[in-house]
Amino acid sequence: MPSTDDRLTGRPAPDHPAPGRPAGDDADECAVRAAGLTKLYRNPWTLKVTRGLEDLDLEVRRGEVMGYLGPNGAGKTTTLKLLTGLHKPTRGGAWIFGESIETTSSRRRIGFLPEQPYFYDYLTGPEYLELAGRLSGLGGREASDRARQWMGRIGLGAAERRRLRKYSKGMLQRLGLAAALIHEPDLLLLDEPMSGLDPLGRRDVRDLLLEQRSRGVTVLFSSHILPDVEMLCDRVAIVLEGRLSRVARVGELVSGGPHRVEIRCDGRPVVAMPAAIAALLTRIERPEETAFVLEQGERLDEVLRWMLQAGVRLRAVTPQRSSLEDLYVAAAQAGVEPSRDRRPA
Amino acid sequence: MSTWLIAHNTFREAMRDRLLVGVIAAGAVLLGVTQLLGPLAMGEGRRLTVDFGLSGISWLGLLVVLLVGTSLVAKELERRTIFNLLSRPISRPSYLVGKWAGLSATLGTVVLSMGVGLCALLVVRGDRVFVPGVLQAMVLAGLELMVMTSLAVMCSALSTPVLSALYTLGFYIVGQWSYDLRLLAAKAPGLLHGLLEIVADLAPNLPLFNARTLAAGGHMTSWEHMGFALAYAVLYSGCVLGLAAAAFESRDFK
Repeated sequence: MPSTDDRLTGRPAPDHPAPGRPAGDDADECAVRAAGLTKLYRNPWTLKVTRGLEDLDLEVRRGEVMGYLGPNGAGKTTTLKLLTGLHKPTRGGAWIFGESIETTSSRRRIGFLPEQPYFYDYLTGPEYLELAGRLSGLGGREASDRARQWMGRIGLGAAERRRLRKYSKGMLQRLGLAAALIHEPDLLLLDEPMSGLDPLGRRDVRDLLLEQRSRGVTVLFSSHILPDVEMLCDRVAIVLEGRLSRVARVGELVSGGPHRVEIRCDGRPVVAMPAAIAALLTRIERPEETAFVLEQGERLDEVLRWMLQAGVRLRAVTPQRSSLEDLYVAAAQAGVEPSRDRRPA
Repeated sequence: MSTWLIAHNTFREAMRDRLLVGVIAAGAVLLGVTQLLGPLAMGEGRRLTVDFGLSGISWLGLLVVLLVGTSLVAKELERRTIFNLLSRPISRPSYLVGKWAGLSATLGTVVLSMGVGLCALLVVRGDRVFVPGVLQAMVLAGLELMVMTSLAVMCSALSTPVLSALYTLGFYIVGQWSYDLRLLAAKAPGLLHGLLEIVADLAPNLPLFNARTLAAGGHMTSWEHMGFALAYAVLYSGCVLGLAAAAFESRDFK
């Protein structure tokens, strides 16, 4: 009998393991494993099928921090909702520590922070955290004790009696993170954890994530704030138009790009530059200095030798590492144009 | 355990809602009005007090079901607070049952507080003989509200708050007329006969929970009737929640 998706797309189902059993022998090594994970949406009125996520094959190893990048509507939130059971996959499967995401128990070891978390206005902070802890399996007293500890840790100790309707956005984001962490999960799934936070709030969240990483917690988080991703992540996965575009170590990505070098000189040197050298450099005039940008870093020796012989007074020579942002933009631009059959979660 | 936690949280949410205080206050005002109208009732003051008091319990309880129950799940979906719950190890049926149990407990509290007020008034008036019948009618009203809550939760899980309120009100009206529907079906021709029979079978049998007239006359209903009403309420609510859970299970939360 064809799967739901096969009926929706008319295409044969790929050869992925059936949901309910982990794929491969190394399932235990993976905190998250997705195989052919697909989410299609069908409009009940027009019957038109739109793609949320297609054939995602992804592994997040135990203890690693993975950044999940992509433009708005690329499928990041859909992926996280599938992993947390908030969406049902149309095809393929995923496993959390070897347990299929279609079982309730697979969520026992997850801490999840949704994008722009919403809370019950009528509860106080400790009441909410206690509820979160108990729903994740903590006993009554333990949940209550941890709720008070976490209120202090996230700097909300003074707001213990205040109802959540009176909390600011930053306070709610921190509370959401505490709710995701209160039961000491082995896997954190965070959807834009730093969105809407001021620099201090971002630093607090970053510190919390670094602390969790040192505890050996696996983290998969989506973000648009690339310096944070670069600072926190071991690997990044880039998703575009509902498809996984690239997975690589952050170091590999940023060192794999072109080696550009900036050479800064005092004043405005007036020298007759040979054509072969001039072709390599881009000149930038600044108030106190002149900078030459050399795109081909491997020819630095040749350029520097000529500059010293010509009497140019050098101030600094700085290798320009490609930022994650450059690579992300390049990947996004290389992706297909946004199609009309896409739908954000 | 998770069902209990959801129920407790729903109860806490409803009890902190100002609407509930307003409903109980309205019940108290209603009882006061019956005392003012008593002298005009041509010697039927006791009947008027009991009838108005019990009707007030049913109507105000229904108001809570329509205003709170029909948005119980829909509001969580709309405000996305459901993400914080269902991303934890809780099954969707447990969540729905918890919501239903929490609101049923809230309605039980409303019925109890208003019923106690009515009984106290009767005792003060020296009409103790009415109290047992009133207590029975109160329990039946609570069971009726339990059934209506299950329908409200089902509608709320599948639709918007406004449509849920309309559907639930529709179920209530059809349910109140279920005996008349059967009478109509008996006289209807062919296809219409079958259709009306099906509607009457599926609609909640709400007249089963109405003992107001007996209580107003100072009479009690039989314990067999009470047992049957209890079994019916549990079974009907269970079936409705089962249907709601089946439909809710495959739903994606946007």
